[in-house]
This record gives sequence, C-alpha cells and structure tokens, in this order.
Amino acid sequence: MNHENYHLPSTITEAINLLIENKGNARLIAGGTDLVLQLREHKINAKTLVDLGALSGLKSIAEKNGWITIGSMTTHQKIAASELIRKKTRVLAEAAQSIGSPQIRNVGTIGGNIVNAQPAADTSIALMALDARACVLNSKGEVTKPITELFLGAGKSAIDPTAEILKSFDIKSPGAHEATAFMRLAKRKALALPIVNVGVWIKLDETLSRIEDIRIALGPMAPVPFRATNTEAFLKGVLLQQKNLVQALSVLEKEIQPRDSLRGSAFYKKAMAKILFKRAIQNAVKDIGGEFNE
Amino acid sequence: MNKTLLQINVNGKQQQIEIDPHMTLVDVLREKMGLTGTKKGCHSGECGACTVLLDGEPVASCILPALKAQGKQIITVEGLGTAQELHPLQKAFLAYGAVQCGFCTPGVLMSAKALLDKNLNPTPEEIKMAISGNLCRCTGYKKIIDAVMAAAAELRKEKLITMPSVGEQVVGSSVARVDGIPKVTGQAKFADDISFPNMLYAKVLRSKYAHALIKNINTNQAKALAGVVAVLTAEDVPGRNGYGIHIKDQPVLAKDKVRNYGDAVAVVAAETLEIAEQALQLIELEYEPLPGVFTVEDALKPDAPPIHSNGNLILHRKIRKGDIEKGFQEADVIIEDTFKTPMVEHAYIEPEAGIGVYDAGKIIVYAISQGVHYHRSEIAASLNYPVNKIRVVQTTTGGGFGGKIDNSVHILVALLALKTGRAVKLTYTRSESMIASTKRHPFTMRYKIGARKDGKLVAAEVEIYGDTGAYNSYGTAVLTRVATCALGPYEVPNAKIDTYTVYTNNPVSGAMRAFGAPQAAIAHEAILDELAKKINISPIEIRRINAFRKGSFTPTGQILNDGVGILETIDRAVEKSGMQ
Repeated sequence: MNHENYHLPSTITEAINLLIENKGNARLIAGGTDLVLQLREHKINAKTLVDLGALSGLKSIAEKNGWITIGSMTTHQKIAASELIRKKTRVLAEAAQSIGSPQIRNVGTIGGNIVNAQPAADTSIALMALDARACVLNSKGEVTKPITELFLGAGKSAIDPTAEILKSFDIKSPGAHEATAFMRLAKRKALALPIVNVGVWIKLDETLSRIEDIRIALGPMAPVPFRATNTEAFLKGVLLQQKNLVQALSVLEKEIQPRDSLRGSAFYKKAMAKILFKRAIQNAVKDIGGEFNE
Repeated sequence: MNKTLLQINVNGKQQQIEIDPHMTLVDVLREKMGLTGTKKGCHSGECGACTVLLDGEPVASCILPALKAQGKQIITVEGLGTAQELHPLQKAFLAYGAVQCGFCTPGVLMSAKALLDKNLNPTPEEIKMAISGNLCRCTGYKKIIDAVMAAAAELRKEKLITMPSVGEQVVGSSVARVDGIPKVTGQAKFADDISFPNMLYAKVLRSKYAHALIKNINTNQAKALAGVVAVLTAEDVPGRNGYGIHIKDQPVLAKDKVRNYGDAVAVVAAETLEIAEQALQLIELEYEPLPGVFTVEDALKPDAPPIHSNGNLILHRKIRKGDIEKGFQEADVIIEDTFKTPMVEHAYIEPEAGIGVYDAGKIIVYAISQGVHYHRSEIAASLNYPVNKIRVVQTTTGGGFGGKIDNSVHILVALLALKTGRAVKLTYTRSESMIASTKRHPFTMRYKIGARKDGKLVAAEVEIYGDTGAYNSYGTAVLTRVATCALGPYEVPNAKIDTYTVYTNNPVSGAMRAFGAPQAAIAHEAILDELAKKINISPIEIRRINAFRKGSFTPTGQILNDGVGILETIDRAVEKSGMQ
C-alpha cells in the first residue's frame, strides 16, 4: 500500500468534496477487506483514501413507506443479524451470513461488496433477486440506478469510487404471497468463495397454486451477476406443478454458461446450479405455504 | 509521507501514536507498541491469527487500515489475562490441550472471548461458528471447542476448570505444558516477534521461471537505492553454494541456472521492509528460458532436458523378497492399478522467519526450526565459517509437520549478518512460504497384487515414482521409506518393489508427516478392498488374514518379534465403527 493520505470525513458532503478536490487521485474505502489486498498487491493504486466509516448515516437499516433502505456502509454482520432483513428479505440475510468469516463480516460492507463487482459476490446475487435500487451521489447530485446496471464486468463497477458515493440500497417491502430464498455451494462453510450461489424472489397468486412473478439470480455464471430471464419468463404464470419445475430446469440449463475454474468445472457448476435453484424455489414456495404438485 | 495521529484505546490504555497512513492495525500493534501476541499468518484476512477485538467485535487486524480504529477500543491477547491472573479461556486452553504450537492460539482466544462476552451458554455449533475464521493446523478443533465450553462453565460459576498438575508424577497423569502459559498470554516469542536494535529487513528475489539460464544479473541500481545496505547474489556466497539434507544440490542463491519457480536468485537487506521490497524491483535479471519437465514420466524420457548435470533420476531403490514369478503363479486373482497422489503443502500458520545476528565474530541465528544442528552445519559450510562460532537458536515454532526441517531463511540471514555486521530479519510472506517451502511428494504408484481364493496375499509387484521437484531435499529418504512401507502392515511372501526419486522443475518435495507411507496406503488399501470384492470375502477379513503378526517377515527381511499391533488395531477399529 502506498497511499499517503487517509481521511475519515464526518459528513457525506465533506466526503464528496474530497473526491472532487482530488480529481481522481482519491478513492473511497468501505470495509477494505478486499481493497486493502488489492492496494497491497498494487492492483489498485490510490494516493488518498477516503474512509466512509465515520458516516453513521450510511450504516442504518430502516423500513419506511413500503421500502426497506440499507446504508451502503452496513456490515454483513449487521445485515445478517437484522430482524427486519431476516424476516422480510431472507435471501439477503443468508447471503450476508455466508460471506467470509466473523472477522470479515464485522468489517466488510454491502456497498463494498457491490462496488468490488465480483460475479459471485453473495450480496449482489441477493440484491439482484430483490431487484434493489441503488442511490448514488456524485458531483451533480443524487441518482437512483437499478441494481442490474451496476455491473460492467468482472471486478468492474458502474460506480466510480474516485468520483461517486454509493449511499444506500432500496428494496421494496414484501407484499402478500411473496418469499425469497438463498442457496450456496462452497468447499467449506467458512472462508470459501461460492462455487455456485442462487437467489430467488417469488410471488404466488392468491390461491397459492400459480407463480405470478419470479426473479432468479445466479453466480458465477457470467462476468457479472446473472439474471436467468428465460427461466423467469417460462415460470411466470405457470401452475406449481412438478413437470413445470422440470421444464424450468432445462430452460435454466440452456441459459447459463459457467466457465471451468479452480472452484469447479463448467459441467459441475451447471449441474449444481440446477439443484440449488430447485431447492431455492421449493423453499421459497414452501415459505408462502404453497407446494409443487404432481 | 504525511504522518497521522492515531488515538486508540488498547487493552484499557489510551494511546496516541504517529503512524504512516498506510499502516494496518496489526503492524501498529506489533511494530509500534511491541504487542507481538497478535500474529501475522497469511496477511490477507484468511487465517485469523491476527484477530483482535475492535469495540468488542473480532476483526482481522492484518487487513484493517489502522486509521479505521481511530477513537476505538482494541483488545489483544495481552489484554485478556496475565500469567499471574489467567482468563478462564486461557486456563481452559491449557487444561484441555487446546494449545500446541501456539501460533493460532491468540487469535482463537480472541474470537472465543467475543463469543463468551455475548453468550455464556454457547452450543458447540455456536463455538464452531465463532471460530470459523481461525485456522489451526496442529490441534484440530475438538479440544478448542471443549476448552471454550469449559471456560463458559467457569464464567457461569458452574464448574471450575481443573488445571493439570505440576509435580513429580508425570507418567500416567495430565501435566501442564512447559511452554503453555507464554503461549496463551501472547508472551511466547516466535521468530518474527523478535527484534534487535538497528535491525535490517531482508527480502528475497525469486525466479519467475521454472527452468532457465541466468544470463546476467545487475544489482547496481538496487545497491544505489537509499537505505539499501546489501544486495547479495551467488558470487557473495563465500563457501559451498549448495545445501540439502542428503545431496547438496540446492543453491543458497542460484548461480547460472534456475530450476523451479521460486528459486532464490538475490537477497536484499535494507533499513526498512518497504525499501527492501523496492530494491527487488531494481534488480535487473536476464534469463534464457529452458524447456521444463513437470511430470516424472517426462523427466525420465531419454531426451528429457537434464535439470542437474547428473540427469533426472536420483535413486532407484530395490527390494526383492521370495520368488515373484512363482508367487503370481499361485495367485487365483490378480489386481493391477495405477494411483497418483498430489503435492501437499504443510501450511503451518506461522510463515518461515528468522534473524541473523553478528556479534564480535560469532553468528547467531534465531529462527524457526525442526533441527538446529542441521541448520548450523549448513550455515558453516555455505559461509565457510567455523562451526563453533555459529549458534542456531530455535524460536517457538508455529507448526512444522516436516516442512521446517529444511533450510529456508537460515543460511540467508546468517550470510546477511556476516556481510553487514548487523542483525537482519527475514520473514516470508504467505505466498512466498507456499512457493518456496517443501511439499509432500506427489507419487505415481503402479501396483500388481495377487491373492489366493482363501484371501492370502501371495505376490506383489510395486513401482513408485516420487516427484521430488528441482532439488532432492528428503526425496531419497522418502522413496526409501516408502519402499519398505509399500505393502503396508501386510505380509506378502513374494515381493518386488522398485522406487524412483526423480527431479522435475516442480516445487521441492521434502519431509511431511509419515514420510511417504500415507501415499502408499492409498494404493494398498484400495487394492485390498478390490481383492476382497473379487474373492468375495469381507474387507476386514482379508486384512486380518494378511496382517503382520509375531514372527512375520517384512519385505526387507526383518522378522517382527515384538510390538506388532495391527491385528488389535483392526479389531478395535471394527469394534468402534460398529461394522460387522
């Protein structure tokens, strides 16, 4: 690491001004659990670091007017332990709980996880399934962006940490007959990156026999977190029947293209993605009180 | 660099320190405050040895910018308890044998403390979750979990921890570890915890090629960098530029040729670690890459590029017993198969570290070790220095498993101390440790075993190829040991065993727990299962029939007279497993 200055601004205005003044030479640091390693290996260089850790306004979880808002500097630990998140957006609580280790979850933040833009970042998969919106502050003011637009490539975020501050995520409070689920396969239960992770949000009709709407997110299937839109389209409006689930799995198989990697072969990831998706959708349906029938 | 004022409360004491803004918390604790109980195992937040409590929560201090702790409370292992007044967790770790090498212990203690501060009635599952960010390579986790349960019980005032006795009676009783208290209080000094006044820091330049000729080395720019005190290459090795337990084939610093990725080519000593790192970038190296060999099969081809001047086969070890042809004629069933086992890294949590000190003609090396006399003799030969003027002091060593028997930092820190007249510390990074340390030998094993219908083994033909990498290390010893262990604890009247120690351009393989025998077990145990299936007897029965007993002949012709425990072991295992 070779940064020469380290700032801990006490207001968000001070933080954005530091970025503006330094014209690209200052970079935001959230928890730093990934960034410190990248700085140490000189994969990223920054003369000045601006730490958002003193901004308590970015660390809250709250629900208001039908929306749940999570500050970007909220730690994985706090999200995983939040009653609100566990009850209303289980996919996110379980994703946050699966990251790294207690030491990492106590420091790493949801904002950092998203801006680091890894294709299988657990909270990205959850936020994709929840169709979250990001609130971003830059020199021109605040803008809201859908989560799907935040990822440009592996490790490449649409948010520029030398010019913009990711403030928070907004997630729609769940309505009736809605549920979410998260599934993850890794070599160990701690300190292991996912081989496959899946997030599902589902809404059933009033009779609990038909899928009204569904979102399916998977990683690492592409350079960015992946939404299985073909599978979603197939499942929208279908009855909760085993044959539809079987057919959905073959649609999913056709639309995912994982790569061979150290964590697993493409063949294995594909097979596991189907199994994890099946378990996720079954769990979510069960949570609502529905069931796949013959 | 703009120094910044850090104000933190450490173990209850308010502190104000000027630091460089890029320092991490672990370095502030260790370098600025001398709190060396917090360890650096991986320097990437993965191993948990650096765990401290930040406002009560466990964090990895090795990846935490120190300024993130601004205005906060830190508790380190030194704040947990003292030798005179141990915390119940510290007592329980001693009482339950949860401490072995002691390197991961401070981090595990801090994770456990964070748990008990919130929950005095933890379940074993909750303890597992709480310590899931802490790796231990010696103890395993069972005793740690038991210890945390016991500490919780004492904190609940339900049951006091019974400490092991310190007395005359040691046989048959649980005794206190002699080095236990320093290990649970963070006072034990591992090599990287030791510092000397005016000490220099060393870094090694390593080969980026698996096989290449060194055409030119230019160290002028590196030497000219302010703060650099020495830049040494092969030319600067005064004595024998080769070490190794059996064959002196591994250069201290590579001269004309590099033979694996990670070969040491040059070493720098500088006033700070940062300067030493910068100096490495300034060394100009010209290589001419050579074709490499990465499997034993390729290494033994007649036209394979020779890695050393005497070719790629180091040793062919032969064992012959009985009449192999006659033996196979008696067999009703013959199984043939080939097995391959991978390279294994010891991954002790403490990376290699040592300090060389020059003191009025004497050289003292404080370092990790699993055999100080061996290190001393290698240093003497490489430095061409009288052996009676060299001392090697083993520091508390954070795991070894055979991986710390070989030379690593030892000769280099001695050489740098001699050349600079100052104390010089060299600590490997985790990736450097993985790249440069020895491994368990990968084996290719061809087995042919014959048995009669009644389950009796009658003949075995075995070929084992061990990939020892670019240098022999313990290769010839491991391949000799496995020749004697190739058939496991089973008596086979007719046997032909051939083992081969082979050079490749892979990382060096050396000593690792049980020295070749575990690899062979994978082969002979799998074949016994196959044989049992074919002749339709139980896998236990075939082992009982063939197990060594009193009076058995081993493949090397040794007659076993005493202490042959395999039959009882099988019986106990069957009993415990509940298998019929």
